[in-house]
Amino acid sequence: MSVVHRIRLPVGATPMVEVGHRVEPAEVLATRRPAGPGQTLPVATRLRCSALEAAEHLRVVPGSTLDAGTVLARRGDREVRVGHACLFLAYDRDDGSALIAPLLGSEPIVGHVRGEVTEVDPEAIEIRVGGALVSGVGGSGSAVHGELRVVVHEPGEELRAGAIDVGATGRILVGGSRASAETLTRARAMGVAGIVLGGVLDKELRDFEATQRRRRQVGGPDASFAVLLVEGFGKVGLDPALFAWFRANDGKLASLFGDSARLYVYDADPPPARRSLPRPGDRVIAHRRPFAGMTGELARMLEGSHAAPSGVAALAALVRFDDGLTAVVALANLEATEPAAGD
Amino acid sequence: MSIEIDTELAVLLDVGSAWAKASIIGRVRGRWRLVTRVAQPTAWGASELRTALLERMARAVDPRLSARLPDLLANANRIECHTARRPGRLAVVAVSRELSGSAARRAAEAAGWQVVEHVTLDDGRSLADRLARLQALETDAWLVAGGFDGARSPRAMEAAALVAAARRHGGAPVVWAGSNTLAEEVRGLFEPEAATAVPNPRPDARRDDSAPLRDHLQRLLRSVVAREEETHLSAIAMPRAVGALAAGSGLRVLAVDIGARTGISALAEPDGQVASRIHGGGGLSGLATVPGAASRVSRLAGDAGDEAAVADLLQTIRARPASLPQTLEELSASQVAARVQLAALLEDASPGPIDLVIGAGSTIASAPTPSQSARMLLDGVRPIGVTQLAIDAAALLGPLGSLPDDEIGEGMALLTEDLLVPLGTAVVCRGGDPGRVAMRVTVHRPGWPPIAPIELRTGQLQLVPLGRGQEAELTIEPGDGVSLGAPRRSPRIQARATGGAVGLMLDARGVPIVLPKRGDDRRAVQAGWRDALGREGPPGVERVA
Repeated sequence: MSVVHRIRLPVGATPMVEVGHRVEPAEVLATRRPAGPGQTLPVATRLRCSALEAAEHLRVVPGSTLDAGTVLARRGDREVRVGHACLFLAYDRDDGSALIAPLLGSEPIVGHVRGEVTEVDPEAIEIRVGGALVSGVGGSGSAVHGELRVVVHEPGEELRAGAIDVGATGRILVGGSRASAETLTRARAMGVAGIVLGGVLDKELRDFEATQRRRRQVGGPDASFAVLLVEGFGKVGLDPALFAWFRANDGKLASLFGDSARLYVYDADPPPARRSLPRPGDRVIAHRRPFAGMTGELARMLEGSHAAPSGVAALAALVRFDDGLTAVVALANLEATEPAAGD
Repeated sequence: MSIEIDTELAVLLDVGSAWAKASIIGRVRGRWRLVTRVAQPTAWGASELRTALLERMARAVDPRLSARLPDLLANANRIECHTARRPGRLAVVAVSRELSGSAARRAAEAAGWQVVEHVTLDDGRSLADRLARLQALETDAWLVAGGFDGARSPRAMEAAALVAAARRHGGAPVVWAGSNTLAEEVRGLFEPEAATAVPNPRPDARRDDSAPLRDHLQRLLRSVVAREEETHLSAIAMPRAVGALAAGSGLRVLAVDIGARTGISALAEPDGQVASRIHGGGGLSGLATVPGAASRVSRLAGDAGDEAAVADLLQTIRARPASLPQTLEELSASQVAARVQLAALLEDASPGPIDLVIGAGSTIASAPTPSQSARMLLDGVRPIGVTQLAIDAAALLGPLGSLPDDEIGEGMALLTEDLLVPLGTAVVCRGGDPGRVAMRVTVHRPGWPPIAPIELRTGQLQLVPLGRGQEAELTIEPGDGVSLGAPRRSPRIQARATGGAVGLMLDARGVPIVLPKRGDDRRAVQAGWRDALGREGPPGVERVA
């Protein structure tokens, strides 16, 4: 199984790989020179003319990228050159100065994926990833990679802060139905690369993100960390079949992209598939309260539309949940879960 | 000997980003009528929709047609509209968050764009951080704003230069909506034809005129993102249908559609002129990322759970837009979310007195009860004056609006009985002092025993039964300091009300609605309003809260 992963390159980045290259997660795919803090450069003073007149002698337009030594302005035999490569951003006609942002040293752009480069252009690098893809419904944080480790015993178990120890450093942990903001904060502090959860309370995720923002603002270390939500928001357990798949792949290398809610697990069979519009006899997982994250078997379809307790009438099915509960659930709130390959 | 019978059918299809709605119309005894309709998640696919339509048709049509239904459906005219395949992504770069930035952002969202980044020179970020964010963006357009007309703002030039530094040569188009004095200079920062200057939405400190920018951005959105036949786009088709409806009826019509992803409003004048807005993040799923939205929805609903529960629900709606509320709490939160988005859709442009308000989109038009639809329209739009309310329950407006110009009116005329579901008439006033009489309404219903004038105090909502097809003459006497929107010379206002699935709604809750600060008081007031509109009562008995 393979999927194509696209890594967008920022403007000005220089690709370091070519089509056909095999890359590892920690490999540098491109470099970029980020802009540093803005600096003002006196122009009118050096040209010995008024600020307004100096504007007429600019040789480049704002927004240009300038190499070291490029002439910014020239008046007769007087000229102003930039000392370093920089971005020219503005000229102030009142005080006769230019605003520039020096380009700093090269920074690596790490792909965080393993695979074969299939396309390289100035905008993006595409990599064919040999592994299984798990798509989530939400997430947070940057791209990370690490070994997968399941740290809860049941798919509905909450990931507690106490379950995270030094052995989790650099790994992507698979939790259960929820992790508090405190647990997420501890995980990050312990150097965990990322966490995969069935669900999380949106408020706790926002609280955690706010803490991280404040930390960055006060100059705290900017270590990468990502969270992936697989099933939903709130306390929602993982589908037992998916949990079993994670257990089967414990210890394998994985790449997690929090912002785009994607997880690649290398050298793994495809995870249990999901399909909308389940049929009688299918294993199903329910979404929306009060059944969010519950799994069971679709026993039969109900004739015509059926009103839920909310009063919303829609096609519905009778579901025998694994915990023994039998309930009528709107078909739109159910997904069929198909066994993982090899089951 | 069996008698051969025949019919003509047409399929009207509205394919949204989350739900697809299909209606079958057919010629019944010489007239075109709605035969049946089906709504299902778009992800279920066309084949499932066809199967469901055939099953519904088999129950609805003459049994002698049963065997021919698949052929009839296959040969039926198909009239379709759909939402754009993907949202248009736009980055806003402006001088100030409060002035140029907010005006630019509002105009972009009102034109249907999804604002993926909003950078202002006073946003507290470092220059390096701003550049890094902009350089990493993937957008379909850039919008730059800043500076007042006639002035040469260096900060506005800096904003434009940021975009020039962060944008790829030959990349997405740039719209300059800042100082007109700088227009030529800004264009010079980019390759020829890359940047377009439009009138400044903030030409000076006092004026805010974003209409030309919004119109330009709407056209740009269509050219950049929606390259397919644009009359089939819901955002174009629905307003066209509303324009034809207004022209045909001589009414001033406002239609509002809260979808999964976008919100659309279309205000049509009796001459058929339409002003429409598409709010890119104006659908139900858009609220999940709005700061403070969960708290607001929780507070306004009163019965939807606490802020944390509502925040989870809003995220769930974003992540699984085709899923349905299973519990009353979730339904309440979804409906309040629709009200909040309706209010946001109309925030910048108060429509003034309207004759007819039409609600569309599954949350409003397919609410479990008509009174819930009415409540969303009443609370979200606050239509001051005397206004008919209706819903597009069969989702017919969009498909009809995708017909050629000369056929829209004809299509509406053919379907006149089934086009809309009337909810009734609302009388909404504003002003007045708490606890004092806001308006006294005398209702004359032909064939009904006369009833005493109804005195409505400020903050009250009352329902008077008035069924579909019934009419009533109203005499409205507003109290001191109370207005129904239009200037008046007489202390009494005469108006006509038409009935519907809900009835005559007398609403003295003010514009905007003010809720008590204390939680218990607020919940009690909200429950009273809900009961006033929601509970069925014996005919002739008025309910008040």
